[in-house]
Amino acid sequence: MSLLEIENLTARYSSGAGDVLKGINVSVEEGEIVALLGANGAGKSTTLRSISGLVPHVGGSIKLGGVPLFGQSVEAIVRLGVAHVPEGRRVFPGLTVAENIMLGASNRKGLSRAEMMREVDEKFELFPDLVRLRDALGWTLSGGQLQMVAVARGLMAKPRVLLLDEPSLGLAPLIVQQVFKIVAEIRRRGTTVLLVEQNANVALSVADRGYVLETGRVLVSGKPADLWKDPQVRAAYLGGHAIA
Amino acid sequence: MSVNLASARLWRGFPQAILACVAVVAVAFMLPSDGYYLNILMQAVTYAIAVSGLVVVLGYCGQISIAQAAFFGLGAYGVAIGMVDYHLGFFPAWLCGIGAAGLLGLILGLGSLRLGGHYLAMVTISFQQILTLFLTNWLEFTHGPDGIRDIPRPRLGPISFEGGHAFLALCLVTLVIVTLAVWRLKTGRLGRAMQAVRDNELAAGTCGIDVFATKVIAFGLSAVLGGIGGGLFAGGFQYISPDQFSFGESIVLLTMALLGGVQSPFGSLVGTMVLIILPEWLRFLKEVYLAVYGAAVILIMVFLPDGLWGLMLDRVRKRAKPIEGAVEKLPLLTLTGTAKTDFVLTIEGLAKHFGGLKALDGISLAVRRGSVHALIGPNGSGKSTFINVITGLYKPTAGSVSFAGRDITHASPHERNRAGLARTFQNIRVFRGMTVLENVMVGAERPGNDVAENPALVVERALAALDFVGLRGDAHRDVGALSYGHQRYVEIARALAASPQTLLLDEPAAGLNLTEKHELGELLKRLKGHGLTILIIDHDMKLVEQVADHITVLNFGKRIADGMPKDVLNHPDVIAAYLGEPQEEAGAAS
Amino acid sequence: MAIFLQLLFTGLGIGAIYALVALGFVLLIRAASVVNFAQGQFAMVGAYMLVVCFNVLGLPYLLSMAISIVLMAVFGVVFAGATYWPLRHRGGLPVIISTIGASIFLENIVLFLYGPSPEVLPGLFDSPGIQVGEVFMDSQYLSILVAATALVVLQYFIFEKTLLGKKLQATSQDKEMASLLGIPVAAMILFTFSYSAMLGGIAGMLVAPVLFVSVGMGGLIALKAFAANIIGGYGSIPGAILGGLALGVAETLGAAYISVPYKDAFAFAMLLMFLMVRPQGLFGEKISEKA
Repeated sequence: MSLLEIENLTARYSSGAGDVLKGINVSVEEGEIVALLGANGAGKSTTLRSISGLVPHVGGSIKLGGVPLFGQSVEAIVRLGVAHVPEGRRVFPGLTVAENIMLGASNRKGLSRAEMMREVDEKFELFPDLVRLRDALGWTLSGGQLQMVAVARGLMAKPRVLLLDEPSLGLAPLIVQQVFKIVAEIRRRGTTVLLVEQNANVALSVADRGYVLETGRVLVSGKPADLWKDPQVRAAYLGGHAIA
Repeated sequence: MSVNLASARLWRGFPQAILACVAVVAVAFMLPSDGYYLNILMQAVTYAIAVSGLVVVLGYCGQISIAQAAFFGLGAYGVAIGMVDYHLGFFPAWLCGIGAAGLLGLILGLGSLRLGGHYLAMVTISFQQILTLFLTNWLEFTHGPDGIRDIPRPRLGPISFEGGHAFLALCLVTLVIVTLAVWRLKTGRLGRAMQAVRDNELAAGTCGIDVFATKVIAFGLSAVLGGIGGGLFAGGFQYISPDQFSFGESIVLLTMALLGGVQSPFGSLVGTMVLIILPEWLRFLKEVYLAVYGAAVILIMVFLPDGLWGLMLDRVRKRAKPIEGAVEKLPLLTLTGTAKTDFVLTIEGLAKHFGGLKALDGISLAVRRGSVHALIGPNGSGKSTFINVITGLYKPTAGSVSFAGRDITHASPHERNRAGLARTFQNIRVFRGMTVLENVMVGAERPGNDVAENPALVVERALAALDFVGLRGDAHRDVGALSYGHQRYVEIARALAASPQTLLLDEPAAGLNLTEKHELGELLKRLKGHGLTILIIDHDMKLVEQVADHITVLNFGKRIADGMPKDVLNHPDVIAAYLGEPQEEAGAAS
Repeated sequence: MAIFLQLLFTGLGIGAIYALVALGFVLLIRAASVVNFAQGQFAMVGAYMLVVCFNVLGLPYLLSMAISIVLMAVFGVVFAGATYWPLRHRGGLPVIISTIGASIFLENIVLFLYGPSPEVLPGLFDSPGIQVGEVFMDSQYLSILVAATALVVLQYFIFEKTLLGKKLQATSQDKEMASLLGIPVAAMILFTFSYSAMLGGIAGMLVAPVLFVSVGMGGLIALKAFAANIIGGYGSIPGAILGGLALGVAETLGAAYISVPYKDAFAFAMLLMFLMVRPQGLFGEKISEKA
């Protein structure tokens, strides 16, 4: 049984704009990094938001370890072991880096203050660049720093699956490299990751498997080596002219 | 054959109003002479006039005002002080009161410049409180807390309104006239502008509406209506005192408006009647009746957001009929062919910084007249910021924008629209409280448009625009009832009806299904055939390939490619921007 | 000079009351984006609860205060359920109007239960006050200043030093993100309502011996507290406190040196001036609409 099983997922925009997702099938095994790729508007972020409960899905099913997530509140889904690092990072601007990371453990019960602070320190070991920013307020950080804080915060939840939504968004290429080195390291330490990315190249460089979405459907899926050679992938982003 | 709507509209409602006047005068004189019924009706009628002012400012224009009792009071004190202290006739004194109310209403409206919602509520409450303080304490002028008594009733030549029946008849006739005016306002140009401001202030500005001026006028009108009611109140009861025009009374008026339904002057009639007559029947509640008011306000907000009249209206609306008549073709070619310059839109070094974030970092581009120019780029590249700066919703940090030879870098959104720039929004901004036709009419009647001053032609132009996008048959429907894709076409029709020189489309394909995207592509090709200049932002490459003559690519707020589609879409920088830099072999991650 | 210092002391005392009510206000704005027009009635209800416990039931003063504070905490939750919860997805205007309705309801229900004549409450201390140099410090005003300072310190402690405080801050900064971390957003908001009601109630109980306890006391205090919020900077916690103190002092000095009957007008005049000229107040951020 896969850790995360999405079957025939359909969803609509709250504004009534028709179906965003028209039947998505994705599975994620424990310990994998799976990438969801596709152009903007293809439905990648909506898929993640359906998993974490922010978007009420219309049809199909989402199961975490066999337990259906349909109809549960966001807080319940989070407690079941889903950590969602949303698009745009959304680090709390008025709280410090350490406080932000600390709050990542809000879904866990029975954690003593001492244990929590120990785990926060572990995160600083994983992200050494953040050590000097420990007491810096969220609004003062750069994009790359924010991304690291957001990921550290997500990891504090000790999730069964970490949902990463467009981590490279708005980041300079060098920073993107750093972020993805960390994503690889996270997987090495045992966390399962479902990654949504527009930047197909860098996503495929860390993922075990990938799915390419186009207007709400899965166009093609497979291992990175195969996807990279597939002309449909490029066409999904840049249209017919790009085949040259 | 032209659509025969407008001529019928000019006198619309007048016959019914005249009949109503006759009827109410008859009723007034048929009432028993004992004061009880006369007084109840007098209070109800004068309040209803004041409440209709709230219909204008809150219902139509969406601006909260908790000062209506203050304007009611200004009208009343105008009559009282004018007649008792200065020996003016009723009608001149009434006009003074109305004038004072109107002037202060306009000033209060100025407070809406940068503020909305709770700030505005606070401004109106403060105004109300200050007025009450003056009424109570400025003894020499207002007679203070004891109030003014023995206010005489008017004579108009040979007609005396001294008798209760006669004065009530005067009140009722005034109410009929006010109701007609407020009702007609809703379907007129100013009324549509107010509703546009209420439904979507941002979009209203880009449709050529001067949002601030509209709000100020709404406040002024509501104050005038309050003053009219107040003057009659003073004449009717012949004694007034400051506590009748306090903050509590403003709340009472607001409750009446909300209960009846703040969208319609008939709603205000219903609400006022219910809330004045009901306590009479529930006398045992007299002591807690304000408490019941308070609870009623909460319950109405939760359960009856459209008020009682809104409930009744729901049944009526479903029976709206389609609009008959053939229409002229949309005259796009003649209107857009007059631009003098080769490049209709020129942008130089445009920059927009949000604090440390450089959303736009020095972009230059030129849009050729008559072409379809596409702007593409990955998520976060600055495309939407770009279009927002061009249409005046954001102020640029640096750089310039010139349109049809004019520098519009610092022009307001409505000025840009009047210069010929029209746009649609990525997350659709239609005016939900109005019908499809009314939405497009807002576009057609933008100041400066050739048909703007002629209501009949405005309707025709709107229908022509709807015909062009294929929604002619839906003109009579509520815009909210249409599918998302069709709402987008309404937005496009609204932009086209304004006879734009240049049309800016912000992600028009977003949220559309395959059929609708195909229709959109066809629509854009048709527009292209008419020589309209179009700047389109979108992610859907198939659509962009079909229609674009020229593509500019943005990434990280900078321009990275510019040219013919074939070249741009194969440019290595562009491919890298979308797909990322070429990496090491996939799978070599750990 | 002595008179000036005396007035300053009194102004600070009244200002502290405005500050407490304003503080409750701003917490709700930050946590739930609610502008609570019934905030003043929280003060009024708190004062009446004290009247019932002390005057009517004859319980000892401090016990009465304690019971009333607990009751106010419960009241805050009930209030949230009735006025905010059913409308939480409907946007600002319905909630504003709903709280206006609640304020009218509360005022008139209390009027019905206790009648219009004001109640008298004794102060916390029997001694009338202490003389410090040329200034006579009334004991109730001293209590107000001490209690207000203690509450502000307590609040700082809760918000800055406890995990709960961090969660509350997170909820007010980004509700959706907070829920994605598993923070119980609904509970946070209800807690804020409860705490805000307690603050308002305490303000009412403290000021009751100075002004009489009457149904109308809430309305004016609320408007002034809101003015304090705006003057200090909309949404700013230090702004609420400083704005309240500034308003209290300005009003007291204005009444003494300029005119008594129009005393209340000063608050509104100041408010209008700030709204027109500097809407972000002393400490607040600029208000702008996002496209």
